[in-house]
Amino acid sequence: MATAHDTIDPLDPVKGRAPLILGNASFADITNAVAAPLEQTSYKGWWLGFGAAVLTLGVLLISVGYLVWEGTGIWGLQNPVGWGWAIVNFVFWVGIGHAGTLISAILFLFRQKWRTSINRYAEAMTIFAVICALLFPTIHVGRIWLLYWVFPIPNQMAMWPNFMSPLLWDVFAVSTYFTVSLLFWYVGLIPDFATMRDRSKGLRQKIYGGFALGWRGSMRHWVNYEKAYLILAALSTPLVLSVHTIVSFDFAVSNLPGWHTTIFPPYFVAGAIFSGFAMVLTLAIPARKIFHLEHIITTKHLENMAKIILLTGSLVGYAYGMEAFVAWYSGNEYESFTFSHRMFGDYAWAYWIMITCNVVSPQFFWFKKMRRNVTVLFILSIFVNIGMWFERFVITMSLSADFIPSSWDYYSPTIWDISTFIGSFGLFFTLFFLFLRFIPMVAIAEVKTVLPQADPHWHPESAHGADADHATKEAHAHG
Amino acid sequence: MSAHADLPHLTYENTQLPKESLWRKFPLIGIGIGVVCLALAFVLGGSEGGHEGGEHGGGHQQFYLSYLTAFMFWLAISVGALFFVLIQHGTRAGWSIVVRRIAENWMILLPFFGILVIPLFIGQHDLYHWSHPIAPDDLMLQRKATYYDSTFYTVRTIAIIAIWTLLATALYRWSTRQDKTGDGKLSHKMRWWAPLGFVAFAITTTIGAIDWMMSLDPHWYSTIFGVYYFAASVMASGAVITLSALALQKSGVLKDAITTEHYHDLGKWTFAFIVFWTYIAFSQFFLIWYANIPEETIWFGHRLVHGWEYVSVFLPIAHFVLPFFFLMSRHVKRRRLTLALGAGWLLFAHYVDMFWIIQPAVHGEHFSIHIADLLTLVGLGGVLIGGFAWFMGRGPTAPVQDPRLEESLRFENF
Repeated sequence: MATAHDTIDPLDPVKGRAPLILGNASFADITNAVAAPLEQTSYKGWWLGFGAAVLTLGVLLISVGYLVWEGTGIWGLQNPVGWGWAIVNFVFWVGIGHAGTLISAILFLFRQKWRTSINRYAEAMTIFAVICALLFPTIHVGRIWLLYWVFPIPNQMAMWPNFMSPLLWDVFAVSTYFTVSLLFWYVGLIPDFATMRDRSKGLRQKIYGGFALGWRGSMRHWVNYEKAYLILAALSTPLVLSVHTIVSFDFAVSNLPGWHTTIFPPYFVAGAIFSGFAMVLTLAIPARKIFHLEHIITTKHLENMAKIILLTGSLVGYAYGMEAFVAWYSGNEYESFTFSHRMFGDYAWAYWIMITCNVVSPQFFWFKKMRRNVTVLFILSIFVNIGMWFERFVITMSLSADFIPSSWDYYSPTIWDISTFIGSFGLFFTLFFLFLRFIPMVAIAEVKTVLPQADPHWHPESAHGADADHATKEAHAHG
Repeated sequence: MSAHADLPHLTYENTQLPKESLWRKFPLIGIGIGVVCLALAFVLGGSEGGHEGGEHGGGHQQFYLSYLTAFMFWLAISVGALFFVLIQHGTRAGWSIVVRRIAENWMILLPFFGILVIPLFIGQHDLYHWSHPIAPDDLMLQRKATYYDSTFYTVRTIAIIAIWTLLATALYRWSTRQDKTGDGKLSHKMRWWAPLGFVAFAITTTIGAIDWMMSLDPHWYSTIFGVYYFAASVMASGAVITLSALALQKSGVLKDAITTEHYHDLGKWTFAFIVFWTYIAFSQFFLIWYANIPEETIWFGHRLVHGWEYVSVFLPIAHFVLPFFFLMSRHVKRRRLTLALGAGWLLFAHYVDMFWIIQPAVHGEHFSIHIADLLTLVGLGGVLIGGFAWFMGRGPTAPVQDPRLEESLRFENF
């Protein structure tokens, strides 16, 4: 599988760019490979996974139902720690929801064509993760039937949300992000829905046809499509940064040592991309195997993601280092206490799990062998997911030792904290499994554009045989 | 898509600066300008500084202050150029190869900052309040007495410039060696070292920004400060690389090699860092403003009184609002005149930025511009542009034997 990469001289200006799609795939091959999971009737593995996910979703429904009935007292919240797992889980899921839009928007602007193989399901993952994220503040308000109070709706009580609160900005930031991500995802899907429409019959065809909005693939359609895609990419790029920036404001605008520090916005954004890419890997590695897409989502794609994980993991490490350094440098005793408490206090175990998973484990990706080893990638991606959950836990637990030592307390989760968090994975995976079977998980139309045949200068007679020939043409396509 | 025949053929010979070009004379002219301006600045910056320097100063406080401002201004360009070279290798970018030598020649000036930094040591007592004996009731400074120990400080400065020197000379040597040999292994080598270069770069740039700029107000701290200077430096170097490319083409080299497409991409790159700088600057200001902790707000407090408030309002307009809307358009980035105007303006904004960070620390009681500010800026500029011109004249003005050069020559935005 990796042969095509190994035989190519990366220094060749024309042939140096290895083909992104392996195995001399034709346009039809791509369509068939991606459409197969949607058309095949039975997948034992899929049913097993989907069943497990739905059961876990049941756990969530029970947990949330009991919470609504009984109130947030069922969680481990107590006096200094008024924000417990709910905020940790919220930030965790929002963070994961950053990779999709980064891949579709920022990598698009950077002309990173390899993104075409992974953007579709990374975007899907983004949307599902943001749904999970939105769940937590929603249920944390306690009386969720009054949730509409967070929106500035004129009312006879003349009651308004606090516009100076970053929690309100979150409402706007996350919902804007969700809306734009969904639109971006949908715009990208239109040509593929049309493909599915043309391949299916009966009710299925009607449904896909409805979503395809009458797409016929005419030149005019494509021109509009490309324009819309570029504009959405440009709009999403600041959104990728703004959402997690505002999430970081939830903490950083306060006066609390460990929360209030100026590096929080870029540090949170780097952490979000870090965790998002880890989740993409966690999901992509099994999916490409089960659905036979290894020639489309190649080792090269996984390797590139590993590089981004190394970069963002190191940026997160830089931020940890700066925080600790400035805690000492500031000469502020509260600041330095908070950091020594983090490192050696009650939650030291969590701090060191965070450091090990987020800073140490990505360092393996300095080595090409590790980046191309699928097992290592899968295991380390899970480590990163764990580490990023703990990062938010460590930050939130700054609350446990506040300015008044008599009120210090140790936060322990209850069974309901845990079941709600596990249940949120049920929600995520239920949506994800449905996505795998009903929506093309790879952007068919976009992948075709990176095939050598997509180049107008491509001549079929010269394309027989070696991959190298394809590469030639592909480099042309890259310009 | 241009056919092969249309591509310009760059050779070792046809990319040399012409013999009669002004560039050839500039090393001497530049050094002349530098010596005259810096000497004048020293004299003129002394009279006023005499009483301001107080008991610890050497009587040339204004000169040292102006010098530091100009130093950080020009340093940002070389530091940013180093980052530019590193990231092009690290990501194996194709489009930028034809302009890489320009960035490399700005980068290779970094070792000379080892000499240019000396006045900061001579004027240390005029600039850095921490270098005076620490008052017994100043507990916060006493806690960082180990950090602001003058030996440790000197070691750090030497180490930072040494690491930059190492990175810059290695990358420069490999790249210029390739001009003669065309050895592909050198490309691999530069690419292999680039990620490690980032690590070294991040640490050194951060400490440099803290030691030379943030330490002007040694009580104040901001975890984002290193990133702030980084953002400013990449933006400034983007503008300088663009202007250098335009100036080189005026003298007749790389005429067909650097195309509108390359300028467009340089414009986009610089534009991205206008926004990134704004993001970082806003984060820093906003979080401090909102939390309203006196020991942090004091830094902005100094910049919101005594005439500095006008600079504080002008800076976001000059550094963000105007260039953001001006350079957003594709047409502006693809027209040489408008792009040059934008890049020139950004350099002005970058100077305002450095001025705004550095000068209130010493001139807190009133906003003023001194003739020494201009003289040091021009003086250091003369020396450094002279250095750049000298390196440009040493060999080809583009990496002519880079195996992937063709990819850059045929690059097109679409």
